[in-house]
Amino acid sequence: MEDLLVVEDLKTWFPIKSGIIQRTAGYVKAVDGISFDISRGETFGLVGESGSGKTTAARSILRLIEPTSGEVYFNGTSVTKASRRNLIKLRHKMQIIFQDPYASLDPRQTVNSMLREAMSIHGIASGRFEAHKIALELLTQVGLSEEHLYRFPHEFSGGQRQRIAVARALALNPEFLVLDEPTSFLDVSVQASVLNLLKKLQKKFNLTYLFISHNLAVVHHMSDRVAVMYLGKLVEVAERDAVYNSPRHPYTFHLMAAIPVPDPEFKKEEILLKGDVPSPVNIPLGCRFHPRCPYATDKCRKKEPPLTEEDGHWVACYYDIDFQSGEVMS
Amino acid sequence: MKGGKIIIDVRNLKVNFRTYRGEVKALNGVDLKLYEREVLSLVGESGCGKSVTALTILGLLADNAYVLDGEILFKGEDILKKSNEDRRILRMSELATVFQDPMTYLNPVLTIDTQLKEVFMLNKKLLKQAVIVQKSQGKKMIFTDLLSREKKFRGESPNVKVSRAEIKKMAKNLCIGILRSVKMPDPERILRQYPFELSGGMRQRVMIAMALARRPSVFIADEITTAVDVTIQAQILHLLRELRDKIDASILIITHDLSVAAEIADRIAVMYGGNTVEVATTKEIFKNPIHPYTMMLMKAIPNVKKPVGRLASIPGTVPEMINPPSGCRFHPRCPSAKDECAMKVPKLREVAENHEVACYQKWSQS
Repeated sequence: MEDLLVVEDLKTWFPIKSGIIQRTAGYVKAVDGISFDISRGETFGLVGESGSGKTTAARSILRLIEPTSGEVYFNGTSVTKASRRNLIKLRHKMQIIFQDPYASLDPRQTVNSMLREAMSIHGIASGRFEAHKIALELLTQVGLSEEHLYRFPHEFSGGQRQRIAVARALALNPEFLVLDEPTSFLDVSVQASVLNLLKKLQKKFNLTYLFISHNLAVVHHMSDRVAVMYLGKLVEVAERDAVYNSPRHPYTFHLMAAIPVPDPEFKKEEILLKGDVPSPVNIPLGCRFHPRCPYATDKCRKKEPPLTEEDGHWVACYYDIDFQSGEVMS
Repeated sequence: MKGGKIIIDVRNLKVNFRTYRGEVKALNGVDLKLYEREVLSLVGESGCGKSVTALTILGLLADNAYVLDGEILFKGEDILKKSNEDRRILRMSELATVFQDPMTYLNPVLTIDTQLKEVFMLNKKLLKQAVIVQKSQGKKMIFTDLLSREKKFRGESPNVKVSRAEIKKMAKNLCIGILRSVKMPDPERILRQYPFELSGGMRQRVMIAMALARRPSVFIADEITTAVDVTIQAQILHLLRELRDKIDASILIITHDLSVAAEIADRIAVMYGGNTVEVATTKEIFKNPIHPYTMMLMKAIPNVKKPVGRLASIPGTVPEMINPPSGCRFHPRCPSAKDECAMKVPKLREVAENHEVACYQKWSQS
């Protein structure tokens, strides 16, 4: 399949300033060199615990945050090197839906004016009549109706607001959508309908998704391929079922074992990971997972393992571990 | 479990909040029984009243809230009739709680040592007895000895003089012991630290330790794993599972996550719009959900182990509580609603062994 988005060694470091002259005392390495590609029409899931840099990665890809180094190509065009004017053209095709629908919609604009604003910036509709027609069309696509067009955000529930955010993103006819925790603010009963909507729209408009969430069950439900992020780096990238059912990285294995299963009959082994995620200011030397890894050796403490591929399954670990028997092969 | 003694019996509890927009009818007749030594999970979406139920039991409702009707029997006595002071003492000893966000509940300017020791120092009698027992046994007391509630820690203390230094030392020992029992690494160092130096998971462990230090008979956990990551959530759930065997207490777990409830609870009570709509054992409710809301909720959660093509979604949204729907509050979203559903609120009724449901339509079917 054709690659729609290619990310190469993307880094986003935030400087920590200290003292009266605000000297840079260090960096928060939120995203510390990630590479992946997303094919047209697929959903690429990005999972990780809080602070692992998922959101920063997504925003850096769209250049909502200026990345420190690295390259992002969209459809063969460089996003990172694009000029201001070209960037607007690119953003036309790449949109984002944020986590919090209470913050991402302007409280003083009606739905109509929000949709029209997006269209007028990018020159989508010619004339008011057409803009109105498109706005109505968009609302029906996301499961709302004409009566909602002249309302303000406060008149909607969380689920409806997220639908409006989706409509606003779709107004530009994008090819690529970043979904940054689109359902984490919603209740389960509403979450299901938003997820179903996103799936339906993807089929209809042949959209490509980058789906970010800390909820592993939701990512499993939505994604074709999944990348696991830990402290600013990808530790494993593979087909969804490979990541969930036969993970190769010890972190992924423990993460998957920690997912609560909504089925009391399901007997699961208790596999616990010790400790917490370290701070991204002081990233451990060597493999960044080694302080929590039960299989870590001296080699892991000294040098960081690169992300290497084997049959489309990318893993950043020196060892081939059989998690059932605990056997380690290098 | 059923058949055991009931420790908390919430009957037809109605709680309203006065707000400038009108009365928020948060609880609309909640019925809930908590048996001794069971783990009951209260599950529901945001705004369904699960936290308000817990706060009412604890007596921690905000000033603009009032109890309209109902009673809460704790060990047979209606605690709603008790004075504020009596209820404060209950919170200090029998009813311990841990809330969602530990940073809000820990004092940021005091060390863990000061905050944890305070709990023990409130019960000097107990400390004194512990010192005496330790002396007579000649071996070091650990916290789990106290949890077992052996007879020697009740009753009057014998007339032996115990110095303040000894009491303080005992408190310190118990602090270290209790941090160990909540699986805290290096407890001596943790005691010297301030809350901001700890991670979210560790703070939550400190909160659990402070709750256990009161030797409660009811331990209420209100969304304690919501603010932490999955791997930490697994650690905390594991800890709770371990503690339930060790401590002689009932555990009430409040969560919006059915999977968390499935992992830990003996029984599950599902709430919707201020009512308990279904109560059953965990196995039973997952195998055989009866209330339409529970059935739909089960199908709406993605399951990693049983992937489905399309999630079932419940039409409409969570009801607004100022002008809630009449009768069964779920009826506007319910596929099997009939006219009678809009008339009167259904009450929980037993339809099978250990299985209660509040739904007119399902009663007639079973």
